Amino acid sequence: MATYTSLFSSLGLEAWCAEDTSDTPLSMTDLLKKIQGTESEPESLWELPFPSMDAFHEACASFPQSRDLTKGLEQGFLDIKDNLSVVLDPLTQPLSWFLDGALYAILNTPWWIVIPLLLAVVFVVSKSWKLVVFVGISLALLAFIDYYEYAMQTLAIIFVCAFLCVLFGVPIGIAMSRSDMMQRLTIPVLDMLQTLPPFVYLIPLIFLFSVTESKLYGIAIILYAIVPVIRLTNLGIRLVDKDVIEAADAFGMTSRQKLYKVQIPLALPNIMAGVNQTIMMSLAMVVIASLVSAPGLGVLVLQGIRNLELGVGLVAGLGIVILAVILDRVTKASLARINAAQKQ
Amino acid sequence: MARDIKISIRNLYKIFGPTPDVALAHVRRGMGKAELLEKHNHVLGLQDINVDVHEGEITVIMGLSGSGKSTLIRHLNRLIEPTAGEIEVDGEDVLQFDENKLRKLRRERMSMVFQKFALLPHKTVLENAGMALLVRGYSVQDFEAEAKKWLARVGLEGNENQYPHQLSGGMQQRVGIARALASNSPIMLMDEAFSALDPLIRSDMQDLLLELQGELEKTIVFITHDLDEALKLADHLVILKDGYVVQQGEPQDILMHPNDPYIIDFISDINRARVLRVRSVMEKTTEAPESCDGDISERDNLESVIAMSEGDTNHTYRVMRKGKQVGVLDMKELVKALVPTAAAEGNERARY
Repeated sequence: MATYTSLFSSLGLEAWCAEDTSDTPLSMTDLLKKIQGTESEPESLWELPFPSMDAFHEACASFPQSRDLTKGLEQGFLDIKDNLSVVLDPLTQPLSWFLDGALYAILNTPWWIVIPLLLAVVFVVSKSWKLVVFVGISLALLAFIDYYEYAMQTLAIIFVCAFLCVLFGVPIGIAMSRSDMMQRLTIPVLDMLQTLPPFVYLIPLIFLFSVTESKLYGIAIILYAIVPVIRLTNLGIRLVDKDVIEAADAFGMTSRQKLYKVQIPLALPNIMAGVNQTIMMSLAMVVIASLVSAPGLGVLVLQGIRNLELGVGLVAGLGIVILAVILDRVTKASLARINAAQKQ
Repeated sequence: MARDIKISIRNLYKIFGPTPDVALAHVRRGMGKAELLEKHNHVLGLQDINVDVHEGEITVIMGLSGSGKSTLIRHLNRLIEPTAGEIEVDGEDVLQFDENKLRKLRRERMSMVFQKFALLPHKTVLENAGMALLVRGYSVQDFEAEAKKWLARVGLEGNENQYPHQLSGGMQQRVGIARALASNSPIMLMDEAFSALDPLIRSDMQDLLLELQGELEKTIVFITHDLDEALKLADHLVILKDGYVVQQGEPQDILMHPNDPYIIDFISDINRARVLRVRSVMEKTTEAPESCDGDISERDNLESVIAMSEGDTNHTYRVMRKGKQVGVLDMKELVKALVPTAAAEGNERARY
């Protein structure tokens, strides 16, 4: 007799409870109990169990166990999975192409083209020779210890993912800034993406896409890294001086003119701060995503953990730090340049 | 003097709150601002405003903060939508305009100058000055000459390629004025345009505005909380208090015949000798005076007449307009006019 048996009998549900008792799955604890043959019987109020699903199940076999809940969720997901894949697969296919293309391009172009090209990009966005020298030395160091390929793979993935984050994030942020309704609907989603541990959304992604496809980790990175650029675009546009907006209205700007000539230029410092955050978060996620076959420095870290190769793991970690510093310095330098150009 | 009416405001109401229509009914039944706020939690912004703005004149709307003056000027180009009433510009009801017509009105017929300048910080002075033309789709090359002309006109030659943050407040507002002038619109709305500037620069800017106005004859609606500024600039003065018009008319007339204790209070502290003009205190007559100590213009202020008479109250002057006599000024009358209205009428109101 379990604690809540009397509850079910008083409700007249004994017949329903007795209907089936056999095919519920056994949990490990149940199994242990069965083997040990000790049917624990609460004797006092002190040991009264919380009226949970499992406690009710004990009293009435027809009542679902909590395990059924997770199982049901899993079953439900598996049922819609095929249909979902039909829609999502073609939609996300370009992501695979981008990632594979970028990886192929960066690995098949000789280093003496790639490194000067990267340095040129650094100079264009930062206009600082000091930074160019710093980035040059860092990349040379990585290449010297034969981590060039891994570092370039990581960079290629970050470039593609951060670019797509900006491509989608900025318009979403603009839409949020223009409609309070849109903002109310989007913020809970952003909060969830930001607080959900990254491992959690890797699980459904693994079900949906095959682990061999590069879009799997691409999606994981984009979902994780897109949040700051959306948030800061929204914030930046909302923070644009009300007086300037009023002047734009008073001179008869259309809302398109207002957006491109006033709001986006004035929100640019905030948007760039968002891009900086997005790039840093892509880097964080690309390491975790090596669990689902993302190439790059993360693979070495994983190898270090799996094979207990301390040295490999540490050096790869150091490589990631160097990449992080490079990306951060370069984006911050361009941000500073924008800020200086429109100091009020 | 009877110029055409450019903007006509009729029975304009503005109530802020969730259900302005309900509140409007209460106001029409005579509920006051304080009661409306307390009982219905609506703010009465404007209450039964009727103002005619004449073409080519400077109409100054004056009031203290919270009197609704900035709200009122924003109704003219519908940056704020009224709760009830009519606004006609050149005989067309602005409130009936659709989005396109309204945009055309804002682009071509009305320009605005703001208290906080509201320049685009990421554009050069030249691009800011040409903003109205940029909005209409012209390129920088197209409007460069026009923008440069107006920048030069407000005294900003050579600053074209600087950014607003490199200029002082007064210079930034000059850009604001150039921007409004370059739009070539007949109506200029100026929302406390000089209030953020320090006194000397403010005075300079007022002179600049009067000088430009003498040349361009725009229809200007000017908002201010500063009575001296209002009296200096106004052809027509509208005094607002708590969202309604206390008195409006020619500034000299308001000074000589204030019809409300609020206004008497307001004008008691100003330098009347500098503000009042001969035509307001003279005796209107075309007959030559018995003795005459000289000719003065009807537009002279009393200060200059006192200086001319060297303080002698026995003098009498002929007042002339375009070479003809229009009146006679006795210095004794002039001195009487210098006493503020309240004191002159033996008003018992406490004045301190």
